[in-house]
Amino acid sequence: MGERRAGAGPAPQRVVLRSPSREFPEAGVRLSAAHFKQLVVSALRELHGEVGAALSVDVLTYEEKTLSAILRISSSGLVKLWSALTLLGSYQNKKCAFRVIQVKLYLSISPCIIWEQ
Amino acid sequence: MSGPLRRLGETPRHLLVCEKSHVRHERSRHAARVRSHAYNCCVSFLIPECGMLPEALKNIITNIGEYYLVKNLSLHELVTHEFINAFVKKGKLIISVDKDTYEELGLQGRPSQYSGKKVMRYIVTIDLTDSAFDLGSKKHKRVLWALKEKKPLEFDFLLSWHDTGAEGSTLMSYFSKNQIQPRQPKTTFSTLRNLQCPVLHSNELQGKLEESCSSQELFEWLGAVFNKVDLDNKSFSFLSTYCCPQPSTVVEQAYLCTITGFILPETIIQLLEQLCCYFDEPKLAQWVTLTVHGFADSPVSWRESEHGFQKGGENLYNFVVFRTLDYWLQMAVGANDDCPP
Repeated sequence: MGERRAGAGPAPQRVVLRSPSREFPEAGVRLSAAHFKQLVVSALRELHGEVGAALSVDVLTYEEKTLSAILRISSSGLVKLWSALTLLGSYQNKKCAFRVIQVKLYLSISPCIIWEQ
Repeated sequence: MSGPLRRLGETPRHLLVCEKSHVRHERSRHAARVRSHAYNCCVSFLIPECGMLPEALKNIITNIGEYYLVKNLSLHELVTHEFINAFVKKGKLIISVDKDTYEELGLQGRPSQYSGKKVMRYIVTIDLTDSAFDLGSKKHKRVLWALKEKKPLEFDFLLSWHDTGAEGSTLMSYFSKNQIQPRQPKTTFSTLRNLQCPVLHSNELQGKLEESCSSQELFEWLGAVFNKVDLDNKSFSFLSTYCCPQPSTVVEQAYLCTITGFILPETIIQLLEQLCCYFDEPKLAQWVTLTVHGFADSPVSWRESEHGFQKGGENLYNFVVFRTLDYWLQMAVGANDDCPP
């Protein structure tokens, strides 16, 4: 009656970086979703070259107000993407930093912060 | 491939176990799976082709009891016999501690399974209702002394209690001197319009080309729905190529409800039962889903299986209940986790 299957890597799994938010020390910076994606690609290119820039990264959601997004990357690209975002220090001669808030193996609801209700 | 290059492509191990059965089958383990996953912080259900919350589900949600927050509670209070006699019919205290705390505590434990070569984390398990832990026994005295005097540990606790209605102390009165605060679970409702839903066949867990989607695709799609991800991207789109798995249909409306708080397994079983009863009358929906998230920082996932946070702390499960009452159950864990049962 029942059937059971287990799936694990190394099949192409997706890893989700939730809300890597950009911080610009100077206020008033606006980035469209396309600019944000371009920024991610250039961060990958800067650290990992053309091979890094060719990684398929999806910007699943983007909030222009908070400059935060959910990114999706294949399992094998996680380390490259995370390291590239972490080490990016400037964009168009403006200082900035990416802050990776969460890394999830499955796209799911954000964790509940119920302590501070 | 050389070492550093290989490490660039590494990912944390993760497991997604999918099983299928029938709700009314005598050997179905769906209730046992729910009951053995004790620490739940978020429950969501999605009903396609539905614009309003069904009355039976509304009643369950309205009657979900409070849970409680107690700050700075000393751990030794949970091993006193007053507490055990009042609230613990059967249970164990499981503490996950780092190496220094373990050595200072001086209680017997075992190394974490996910420690690596150098053990930096230990798990201490104390069976509170074992006869060896009776009042006045050597074991009880040692544990009490370790937690009260040798290495006093204090934490903020969330407490929830399945009240069977028997007379006796309540959590509020027992912890009144600890400034216990009752909390009500938060519920959000939304009606999603023109939602692309994957086509599923209950007997095709792996999906069938051009006929139905796989359980893994459904699992990812559900996460996209919860996070309001655009499901209609094209393969040449610059921003995102994610789209609803195919084949799919567009439903005019779908009802999504999310409850956050410290949710008991018994509440989840009631919700699951009512979702099964949803199909007692003819409905347009082919299936409904119920998704439950465990606390990311819980030391256990199912039963006493060790759960570690690593990078994400995932431990969640999802039911897909079909019109025929066949169901799929997907259980997902992260890197520092045992395989789900």
